[in-house]
Amino acid sequence: MPSLRDLQQGFADAVFGPQDVAPGFSVVAPAKGAERIAIYRTAVFANYRNALSATYPVVKRLTGAPFFHAAVDAFVRAHPSTSGDLNVYGGSFGDFLVAYAPAAELPYLPDVARLEWAIDEAQRAPDRVRVPEAVLAALTAVPGESLPELRFALDTSCRFVASAYPILRIWQVNQPDHVGDDRVMLDDGADTLLVRRDPRGIALERLAAGDFAWLAALANSAPLGAAIDAAQSADANFDLGIALRTHIAAGTIAAVATD
Amino acid sequence: MNTHLRLPVVAGIGLRAPHIAQVLAERPPVAWFEVHSENYYADGGPALAALDRIRADYPLSLHGVGMSLGSTDPLDATHLSKLERLVARVEPAAVSEHLCWSGIGGRHLNDLLPLPYTEEALDHVCSRVTQVQDALRRELLVENVSSYLAFADATIPEWEFVAAVATRTGCKLLCDVNNIYVNAVNHGFDADAYLAALPGAAIAEVHLAGFDASGPCLVDTHGAPVAPDVWALYARAIARFGPRPTLIEWDTDIPAFAVLEREAATAQSIMETRDAIAA
Repeated sequence: MPSLRDLQQGFADAVFGPQDVAPGFSVVAPAKGAERIAIYRTAVFANYRNALSATYPVVKRLTGAPFFHAAVDAFVRAHPSTSGDLNVYGGSFGDFLVAYAPAAELPYLPDVARLEWAIDEAQRAPDRVRVPEAVLAALTAVPGESLPELRFALDTSCRFVASAYPILRIWQVNQPDHVGDDRVMLDDGADTLLVRRDPRGIALERLAAGDFAWLAALANSAPLGAAIDAAQSADANFDLGIALRTHIAAGTIAAVATD
Repeated sequence: MNTHLRLPVVAGIGLRAPHIAQVLAERPPVAWFEVHSENYYADGGPALAALDRIRADYPLSLHGVGMSLGSTDPLDATHLSKLERLVARVEPAAVSEHLCWSGIGGRHLNDLLPLPYTEEALDHVCSRVTQVQDALRRELLVENVSSYLAFADATIPEWEFVAAVATRTGCKLLCDVNNIYVNAVNHGFDADAYLAALPGAAIAEVHLAGFDASGPCLVDTHGAPVAPDVWALYARAIARFGPRPTLIEWDTDIPAFAVLEREAATAQSIMETRDAIAA
């Protein structure tokens, strides 16, 4: 008799295998083996289509359901789920779409997917109490010569998405409650976006190139000095004072790192 | 927070995302709710905040769909620790999972896949139920699942397998009457004999849902009203075991909340009819 492990491996191989092929293990009513595995195959792929439809509604709207479902099916085969929690599946869908040939005519699609994943992650991030006054007080207490080595903790919901396409406008005009002009000019320019969750919900903010480079570096645990260098090479007019005040007040910068 | 150590012995409703805003706004007179545990595994955010508000006013059951109890892969420590965290947060009246497996070799299929009913599988799944119960320091309710094929190597009837899991581990059973009906039709056994083989005292909850009959066998879609034959089987289960906390589940093509309330009312009336006869 095959082991439990062999039976489970055989079952999974059959579900991800071709249609109309009998499973590689013995079933009661062998003539119906392929047909019954097909029921599981349909259910499994439907679960992933539903889950990713909830995570990527704008990608689905841009491509239409048949295209989207085919893309999800291909993604599932290339990047299998590794968790029993479907809510955390699909984070690399945007990266997958870059090389997904049928999507080549929609070059902005991978970045729209990355934006939707950033929103999804921000929705699931830890709840935090905002204390901008405490951040300011901690910053004031740091001696000037230590500032370049200072690190900040950003709000845990912060995500950064950059695109060569106007993905914020694409996202906005594809919301179910959008009214009015829904045209998007693809050469309207690049977007550098901050996604985060504040007490009112998800906030999408277009940042200046310098602010984006600065915050993204801080999010990556860069010290303040290196983050300023990154900001200034992105935008010679980067103003550290304004950036600090703005993003401490907004809660983007949640704390002065203490380690 | 009010405390509910046991589910009330009445009908409740499976609460899904499309109805949460309505429930929070209207506070309908539902006796208890059940949610899918994994939908609240997040570290924070609006879904978890909504669950806290629901839990403040209703008894709550956590129903897992992703623990993969029967898999020969190691138990997912992260998954289990998130369940522990959620249990500590909402102090549910019940915690349940499925008698199935969902992944192998690190690849998850995120579906409720059937076990071969063998001594090896029984030993394995019992040790896993015990691991989960030990980690949670509480009883787990284990649910029988629908299946669309049967392994030729199975040596134990499904009902004996289910009963043995409860007897050996001390877990409770979540008796899904629709799944028993679906499997009785798909595999050609007697649903009443299945019920008769279950240890009634271990049955802590009952599930009811609708199936799809348009394919080559019955498929447990949770996308339709409870079928007349399943209501009849449910009435016989209640007559046999007595009233049990009974949940209406609906997961695909989710209808208006009022439809779920009507289904729950039907289950409630069946339990009360049985009480009237018993009195």
